[in-house]
Amino acid sequence: MSIVTERPRTTEVVVAPVAAPPRRRVSPERVAAGLTLVALLIASVVALRSVDIDPARMLQSWSNAERFFGRVGAIEFPPLGELLQLTALTLGLVICGTLLAAVLSVPVAVLAASNTSPGPVWRAAARFVTVLARAVPDVVLAMVFVLLFSLGTLPGILAIGLHSVGMISKLFADAIEQIDEGPRTAVRAAGGTRLQQFTAGVLPQVLPSWVATVLHRNDINLRGSVILGYVGVVGLGMEMSFAFKSLDYGLGLGYAVVIFVLCVVMEIVSSSVRAVMLGTAPTGRGLGDRIVRRATRRRGAATSAAPAPEAVGRASTAATSADDATRASGTAATSADDATRASGTPAPETAAATVATMLRRPWDRARVRTTTWAAVAAAVVVASIVVCDIAWSELVTVWSGVPAVAVQFWPPSFGSYEMSTMVDAMGETVAIALAATLLTLVASIVIGSLAARNVAPSRGVRGGMRLLLVGIRGVPEVILAIVLIVVTGLGTQAGTLALALGGVGLLGKLLADSFEEVSSGPERALAATGATRLQVYAGATLPQGTRALIGHTFYMLDTNIRAATLLGIVGAGGVGYYLLNASQGSNYGTVTAIVLMILVTVLAVEGLAMWMRRVFR
Amino acid sequence: MNPHDDTITATRAATATTTTTASTTTGPAETVVRLEGITKRFGATTALDGASLTVRRGEVVVLLGLSGSGKSTLLRHVDGLERPTDGRVTVLGREVTALTGRALRELRSEVGFIFQQFELVPSLTVLENVLTGSLATVRGPRLGLWSYGRAARAEALARLERVGLLERAYQRADTLSGGQQQRVAIARALMQRPQVLLADEPVASLDPESSDQVMALIREIAADEGLTVICSLHQVDLALSWADRIVGLRHGRVVLDTPTEGLSKAQVMEIYGRVATSTDQFEAIELELGTSGLAGGAANVPEDLAGGAAHAPDGAVR
Repeated sequence: MSIVTERPRTTEVVVAPVAAPPRRRVSPERVAAGLTLVALLIASVVALRSVDIDPARMLQSWSNAERFFGRVGAIEFPPLGELLQLTALTLGLVICGTLLAAVLSVPVAVLAASNTSPGPVWRAAARFVTVLARAVPDVVLAMVFVLLFSLGTLPGILAIGLHSVGMISKLFADAIEQIDEGPRTAVRAAGGTRLQQFTAGVLPQVLPSWVATVLHRNDINLRGSVILGYVGVVGLGMEMSFAFKSLDYGLGLGYAVVIFVLCVVMEIVSSSVRAVMLGTAPTGRGLGDRIVRRATRRRGAATSAAPAPEAVGRASTAATSADDATRASGTAATSADDATRASGTPAPETAAATVATMLRRPWDRARVRTTTWAAVAAAVVVASIVVCDIAWSELVTVWSGVPAVAVQFWPPSFGSYEMSTMVDAMGETVAIALAATLLTLVASIVIGSLAARNVAPSRGVRGGMRLLLVGIRGVPEVILAIVLIVVTGLGTQAGTLALALGGVGLLGKLLADSFEEVSSGPERALAATGATRLQVYAGATLPQGTRALIGHTFYMLDTNIRAATLLGIVGAGGVGYYLLNASQGSNYGTVTAIVLMILVTVLAVEGLAMWMRRVFR
Repeated sequence: MNPHDDTITATRAATATTTTTASTTTGPAETVVRLEGITKRFGATTALDGASLTVRRGEVVVLLGLSGSGKSTLLRHVDGLERPTDGRVTVLGREVTALTGRALRELRSEVGFIFQQFELVPSLTVLENVLTGSLATVRGPRLGLWSYGRAARAEALARLERVGLLERAYQRADTLSGGQQQRVAIARALMQRPQVLLADEPVASLDPESSDQVMALIREIAADEGLTVICSLHQVDLALSWADRIVGLRHGRVVLDTPTEGLSKAQVMEIYGRVATSTDQFEAIELELGTSGLAGGAANVPEDLAGGAAHAPDGAVR
């Protein structure tokens, strides 16, 4: 060992006079982006001070909370029948809305993706739609639709449907841009039309990722449906808002608990569906992974659609190797036998398949599984539509009411409020978002790192952290905010902490995934030099994950700005409070003015985030 | 070559929807593919530089050249996937450069294309992948096995049987080995009922054994169906054993066009050596084509020279 360390040193002496390495050239854009990053960091710290999060006072008010919970007494639940009906209604509404968004997103995504768009003008138009849909909060849309439609599920469905197009079409377009162009070229080379190229070459490739996107968005929409209840969209959220408004805190908290459980269950269901669909069962031993795995296994047994994805993988590997051994032109029948034996299905009666016998697709496991999935999906969709009891005729009659409502929303004005009050409120919202993002970032780096397979000191720690993240993600921010308002009192504190806590669920997961995705080579190289676990993390994992970290953090800031505008609706500070006031006082001109203000801010942050992500890519 | 080829070809061409001008003549010299002075530039780089090539019906032509010599680009011109900056492409009696829309798709459907990376949709079944070869004969989009007619499915299964993968029809394409996937791709190309088969490095991603299988299959099918084959390769050995004719490409120019009969590997290497204008090009050929005794000896000298030259200026600076 000592000899080895000796040698480089002598070499070093020999080649000592090395010319200074050329200075790395940094583009002005990167410098500007770096400076912006620092400025944002400082702004966040300032913001954090301005939202005056005061642990001492929070501890003080903890006694408040105790008194409050004492007064609430036991958490009450509504009668079971009503609860089930409300749950079904909420789920159905959210699913219908998400589906509507998915359908609307397909053309937008095709026009927006660089490889399928007919031209730059179409691209720009599609992107504009995407950005606009994202920037207008679903709550605002719901406010408008509640005015237009009679009470029912339509306002909620349309609000969710239109707003979600923003995110879904963006992710759909990303998926299209990431496809392997080969199969599409193959269809083109075979003489396929543009539409055929899309359905045969693009669609099969993007479908799993599209479904995953829709499921993911469905989770988000379910959490968001709570706040929709505050502006008059039917479902659990609305009942909860009624309960709180009538100071029936026990019942209100009961609804909150139900919603929380519902969100966590949906999250687990959708993540297991995604895992099965993408063919990657979680292999970890964490509690979350175990739940998912057990769930998928049980479902498989119930439908007799047996194979866990690993089993399929193993069987097909065996099939391939068996076939390779028997050679192509040779006895294919033997290899097929081997393959079927390996995958555990009974061997076909006729060993030598002919074109005639093969015309009928055998009911093998894959077919049973896909058919079952398709049937379940269809059943869910149909059930959702039935539950929603959509008043289709209103979609036609509504148009006559549009001009009258539109007139009320125009022109925008701040009405009885001072301009400066509004700008301050907006500033407060931005401060909440910045402060929350900073808190989230710090917490997420710790939790996210510990939840990454390649960083966590043990499987137990990783599993625990992953479970923590799922749990946090399951809590709708609004419910967090409501509970925190109880603890800290009305104001920016509650909003900031709610966003910060809720954000950890998302950012922590994104960071954990990014850390797990870094190339393991450098990590192994460092470990091989005898570096400690922490050194490996600091020297290999973190540097490789930095770009993802910056990107995700800006995504977080982006989301937080939107969310912060809405939390005011439940009294957590910022411009949202005025938005709700204006809407309830029927000052629609003011609603328009505030929405425009939010729009400008959101677009500015979005632009900034896009620029940063591009520069630091 | 199989003496029956021409008659088979003639029947095949006659039954095809679009009859080419010369398809009824049973004479051996009908030109199927003609490229005249094709130049193709992508921005500042010139992929093809006035390349010309004529291929007659039933011929198996191998394009030989280094990566970047323009083989792929040339093949893509035959199928109308690229438009030349300059020059004329005539395939099956039609001027490809003038075709658009339906006429272009029709031409493409008569020209099968086999890719280096197979280009199957991994998540679809083998059968559905094969069926996509028939898209040009149907109207509108197709999604799912059952959206294709029963007749089409039967034909696709027959094509799969031809390549020895009937049993695999309902497996996902990505569960197959590389060699099997390429055979599925061949079945897909056959589904087009092509007259010309283009293969762009069909075995470059395969191990030697699968390579031989796939090349044998292409050759066999070409003979059976009277197909005209243009196949790009970079291995001289493979080219010599499978081709009727070898066409060498360099920097987008045709530098060699000779029947394979009686041609030895050394001769091919020599031709490459003679046209190599600079040392590094020569070395690149060496690397890519494998060292033969003849060329290997020659390559050593310039390498040393080049090494010396590289060091000299450094020393001068110090």
